[in-house]
Amino acid sequence: MGLTDLMSMAKPNLESRRKVLSKLKGKELVNCFQCMRCTSGCTSLKLLELEPHEIEKLVTLGFVDELAASDIIWTCVTCLKCVERCPQKASPYHVILALRNLAVEREAKVPEAFMKAVSQILETGLAESPQKVTTKKMEAFGREGLKLPKVCGPKESFQMVFFKALEERQ
Amino acid sequence: MKTAVFWGCRILVGQYAYEMSVREVMPKLGVELFDLREALCCGDPVKSVNDFAATYLSARVLALANLTGTGDLLVPCNRCHFTISEAKNTINTNSQVSEKIKGLLKEEGLGYNPDVRLWHVIDLLHDRLGLDRVKKAVVKPLKGLRLASHVGCQILRYTDLGRVDDAEDPKKLDYLIGAVGAESVDYAEKLDCCGAHLLLSHVDSALSLTGAKLKALQALGVDGLVVSCPDCGLMYDSRQKDAATTVGAKLNVPVVYYTQLLGLAMGIDQEKLGLQLNQSSVETLLTKVSV
Repeated sequence: MGLTDLMSMAKPNLESRRKVLSKLKGKELVNCFQCMRCTSGCTSLKLLELEPHEIEKLVTLGFVDELAASDIIWTCVTCLKCVERCPQKASPYHVILALRNLAVEREAKVPEAFMKAVSQILETGLAESPQKVTTKKMEAFGREGLKLPKVCGPKESFQMVFFKALEERQ
Repeated sequence: MKTAVFWGCRILVGQYAYEMSVREVMPKLGVELFDLREALCCGDPVKSVNDFAATYLSARVLALANLTGTGDLLVPCNRCHFTISEAKNTINTNSQVSEKIKGLLKEEGLGYNPDVRLWHVIDLLHDRLGLDRVKKAVVKPLKGLRLASHVGCQILRYTDLGRVDDAEDPKKLDYLIGAVGAESVDYAEKLDCCGAHLLLSHVDSALSLTGAKLKALQALGVDGLVVSCPDCGLMYDSRQKDAATTVGAKLNVPVVYYTQLLGLAMGIDQEKLGLQLNQSSVETLLTKVSV
């Protein structure tokens, strides 16, 4: 079943549409004329059936709730080809990001790794923790063994301010 | 020249070969690197969760760069380079966001400076230092190597932000490969994405993208793939075996960072360039140049 089929019973929600548009300041979503240039070059089209022009149209029509709850917005690989090539500056990438942000606000299903990255940043300043690399001679090296400088995390005051930033919405 | 350097997460936590080779090569070309006071995420994974918080993280990076007093910031990671560039643009054009961000920075006694110039390894070498300067540093030209270049997505797009090279026809990395005496091969899949971002949500699809490109390169018979982004390095080198399993092919493509390649041509010790850390079959490439 395609994405559009999911909408056959849905009703547009103009309030949600307004929300997405307000997140897209300066990105001219409404100017999209469905030329499908984004979709024809989309990295995720073949693998994951992402069709950016369809997302553009659905948001314009107000089917935002369905999209924010859908897995499809998490299939974008963020190669930015659609932003570059859109003749109308309607940037599907930014529309998808706005929908992802909305999904998080609504506590919809969000891939775990994203939330994990955020809590890791809160804790250590970095999104990932340091790993050892094993060579082909089976020797494991960390930063110290390679004589790389020690990583200093941010000062304690950072945590509080970053938390505040997370409470804000753009 | 003097420049601050922001590594981002992925280099600091695992792509050590990139960090080591940048730290080796740059000072020998007259570029003095200053690490920031603190390591921090640029905000890239946070963009999908809360765009404002991501912009704040990037602004904080720029504020930390400001403390070094150099006015230039080298960002060797493509994703960090994009995230920070876009945050800069948002802060410049959206006064509401800009004021909130500056307020948050002030709470930690930090100041935002819109004039910090961003550099990536590619444009620092190609535009700022210039190909002649690079060529002069070469003592062992890597003659006879046929290499493919992979620039990655996020330093190429989107043009409105001001990017490192042409979005549809990037050439600088190829010229840089030429500068060390090797041949850069053009190929149809040059702009194909490594898929790293999908590691967060669709691991198999991410590895399929990686595997598909490597398969094409293998069929082309190149001596290696040259990358300059820790995400691309992670996918094509560190996870080449996983990618091979995913696409059901036997893959044997040597993958090196450009700074490793340049270091070899400059006569720097392989271990200092972190070549022992590469997981792909770099030995075949090294035998061909016998350095």
